[in-house]
Amino acid sequence: METIANDFTINIATANGTGSQSANLILLQSLFEMGVPVSGKNMFPSNISGLPTWYIVRLSDRGYQAPGNRTHIQVLLNPATWHEDLESLEPGSVVIWNENAKMEMTRDDVVSYPIPMSALARKINPKIAKLVTNIIYVGVLAEMLGIDQAELESAVAKQFKGKTSAIELNITALGLGRDYFKDNHSKSDPYVVEKRAIEKPQFFIEGNEAVALGCLFGGVQLLSWYPITPSSSLAEGIINYIPQLRTDDDGNTTCAVVQAEDELAAAGMVLGAGWAGGRGMTATSGPGISLMQEFIGLGYFAEIPSVFWDVNRVGPSTGLPTRTQQSDITMLYEGSHGDTQHIVLIPGTVEECFEFGWRAFDYAERFQTPIFGLSDLDLGMNRWACEGFEYPDQDMDRGKVVRDRDVFEAFEEFGRYLDVDGDGIPYRTLPGSGMDPILYRGTGHNSKGVYSEKPHDYYELMQRLKRKIEGARDILPAPLLREETECEIGIIYLGSMENTIQEIDDILEATGIKVSQCRVRALPMHSEVENFISRHKMTIVLEINRDGQLYGILRKELPNHLITKVRSVAYSDGVPPRAGIYAERILETLKEEVE
Amino acid sequence: MSDTPERPARAIKLNVLNEPKDSYTGGKSSLCPGCGHDQISSVIINAAWENGIEPHRVAKMSGIGCSSKTPAYYLGQSHGFNTVHGRMPSVTTGAYTINKDLLYIGVSGDGDSASIGIGQLIHAIRRNMDMVYIIENNGVYGLTKGQYSATADIGSKKKKGTPNKTQPIDLCALAINLGCTFVARSFSGSKKQLGSLIKAAMSHKGFALIDVISPCVTFNNNDESMRSYGYVKENEITLHMTDYIPHFNPVEEIDVPGGHYRDITLHDGSTIRLETISAEHDPESAIAALTALHAAEVDKKHVTGLLYFDNTKPSLAEDLGLVDMPLVDVPDHVLRPGKDTLDKINAALHN
Repeated sequence: METIANDFTINIATANGTGSQSANLILLQSLFEMGVPVSGKNMFPSNISGLPTWYIVRLSDRGYQAPGNRTHIQVLLNPATWHEDLESLEPGSVVIWNENAKMEMTRDDVVSYPIPMSALARKINPKIAKLVTNIIYVGVLAEMLGIDQAELESAVAKQFKGKTSAIELNITALGLGRDYFKDNHSKSDPYVVEKRAIEKPQFFIEGNEAVALGCLFGGVQLLSWYPITPSSSLAEGIINYIPQLRTDDDGNTTCAVVQAEDELAAAGMVLGAGWAGGRGMTATSGPGISLMQEFIGLGYFAEIPSVFWDVNRVGPSTGLPTRTQQSDITMLYEGSHGDTQHIVLIPGTVEECFEFGWRAFDYAERFQTPIFGLSDLDLGMNRWACEGFEYPDQDMDRGKVVRDRDVFEAFEEFGRYLDVDGDGIPYRTLPGSGMDPILYRGTGHNSKGVYSEKPHDYYELMQRLKRKIEGARDILPAPLLREETECEIGIIYLGSMENTIQEIDDILEATGIKVSQCRVRALPMHSEVENFISRHKMTIVLEINRDGQLYGILRKELPNHLITKVRSVAYSDGVPPRAGIYAERILETLKEEVE
Repeated sequence: MSDTPERPARAIKLNVLNEPKDSYTGGKSSLCPGCGHDQISSVIINAAWENGIEPHRVAKMSGIGCSSKTPAYYLGQSHGFNTVHGRMPSVTTGAYTINKDLLYIGVSGDGDSASIGIGQLIHAIRRNMDMVYIIENNGVYGLTKGQYSATADIGSKKKKGTPNKTQPIDLCALAINLGCTFVARSFSGSKKQLGSLIKAAMSHKGFALIDVISPCVTFNNNDESMRSYGYVKENEITLHMTDYIPHFNPVEEIDVPGGHYRDITLHDGSTIRLETISAEHDPESAIAALTALHAAEVDKKHVTGLLYFDNTKPSLAEDLGLVDMPLVDVPDHVLRPGKDTLDKINAALHN
């Protein structure tokens, strides 16, 4: 039989709360240490224990990180999804299944490897058999695929950092799984793992942890947050690193953390921090941003530096709390009532999560306005390969803040909202300084910050705010371009779609269509995005949502003659993007054009 | 040479910082003439001046409503933030984490604090954040032209409409139940008592709540209202006479005719002296405070004075474990860890 090396997808079906996550991470880590390009996606329920969970491991020498379009190896432990999982398999797939689950193997067109996982686990320790069952299937997979024992053991050691008894127990269980497969089955499937040379050493890290580190290197001084999936691990990442990064020898910190009573209060605290001259932030998800809208408007209108990270999950409403989507784009860009426009940073890699983590504070103080970081569950909560984080290449930008009386007195005229430099960004003083003491307000105000209902004052203020944010376009991170010389079709995309775009591109190229790529990394969009559209005959905006939100923003902002060149391909079912689905929809859109 | 006689030099009173009272005033009020809120503003000005607060070291915080407009009318040398409806406590909390050395004076109303913002008030109390929180409580929404608020007393009738039948929220009782460390009630017409209480609140470490009955002259000052000037004057039960002795003055022994007094030392060394009028009130007893509030409610009276005091709880700054220097003054190179630190983190992640 011809073997298939490093090009298949494993789907592991368990119930949540059974400890399968640590077993899956050991599998992922050991493949990673063998130099195999691999990605893992945790498809977990919004539940503490007992509901279906799938973990999808994709091995791909081409570096594809999306879940893939089909399952090649199914690991079956969960009776609740047993039949559904079995029925969805293509003929010839491999099924490793728990013989003790009291379920039947109902397919005769698959390669079947029954394993008495529960019985083997009970042999080790009946009290924790449920936990050990998970590591048994990792042992089986290791034997079946040819994963090195050394890498497995190293991954176990990493997972259980120094907990000797846990390490020993897991290694024993791995051995039992391995031996059972060796003694009772002969390999009759084509899938193998082959070691690859590691050119650049990498580690795995979740986007949320990368943002957390970035924020701490950005000098965050207040984190106020309210727990919400999938952003909690971002806030907790900051909390976990504070003792190491932001605490002095006496145990005192330069970063306050307040767990707020709700998202409204979290947003209020962020604004309070910015008003007082500090770097405040919160981390939340779409439902939290919905609640924060009032304060977001105040931050925009009173011009308060503030940072909000949104780890997007599936909406609307409570939606699918543990699934991924890019559906908060419009809400962030135009958040709160009245005419508003906000700066949004959109990382697509864990390196950018770190970078935008610290940059967000610089932009917040430079533009004196709320800054959003838009991540999503896929980027935030799954592990991604990273070569390492780069130290900020510039000093902290504290913006136009006047701290010294000499500087203050050198102003011919001072007004909190006076556009001295013509860039729409005014100068500010800080509470406690006694310099230009004003009562900040969310009501209409003149250039001195005094309440005003005068038509001229309101009009000029709104025009200046517009000018200020417009001025950010070409200062914010530029789009990343990968252009074909033909410039026929362009694809504009954003965020975590970065991990699927190359596979989509390859599928399209296989049909003879060459596409250029443009990844938008910030709103308002850089002028390079418009240039990209004008260079191409047609541009497709690819998004993980229903309505084509980025497309909508483009339609509003592009000159008329370019609008007609842009098409939308938007799709979302909650699952991280599978290349095949998007490629198919792109092809359909292109076909419609020809017709 | 003019034959106009020289004007005699006018004596200007200066406070302990050699500042005239003018250093503590603000803009002209746009509230209705006679509004209780304006009386409270003048008491705040006096209190800050007499207490020798540096005029620019206050942060004036408010929400939305008639009361929340008043920070424009006092302490013109201080920054302020007129935030959003009911959410002043959270903004103050954020500001406080960044600059814990300012004196935070929040002014709110009954709409702001008892309805839309009650959650934030509760949690600010729970955190024992260092601030003076003054509720200018008139029982009605003024800016929207006279709807009942959640503190309107049962049976009370505003200028237009039917008597209120809905159970009011007593913010002092609520605060005491939440373990608030300084709880007082006063009346905008009782300037001396209110002045002492505000000064004491400024000297307190922790959350100091002062619920001030402040009649709305336009919508709720009629005879059938239980929050009119006339009604409150007739039906006020004063727990004790209150005197405030700042830490920079020696505390004097005084004669209290036919009664006792009790001195409470505040965080900054100042003293609040409570002189018994009839029965002694123990401000360190939550039960006594709640009993006094309940008895007054039953009798349709308003009880005023320092209801409850507790100086044993840590304030938010202590809980947060912050460095001594206010975070706003911490230099950038301390806020951003060095490159070597990031190198170490990268290395640890690689292993």
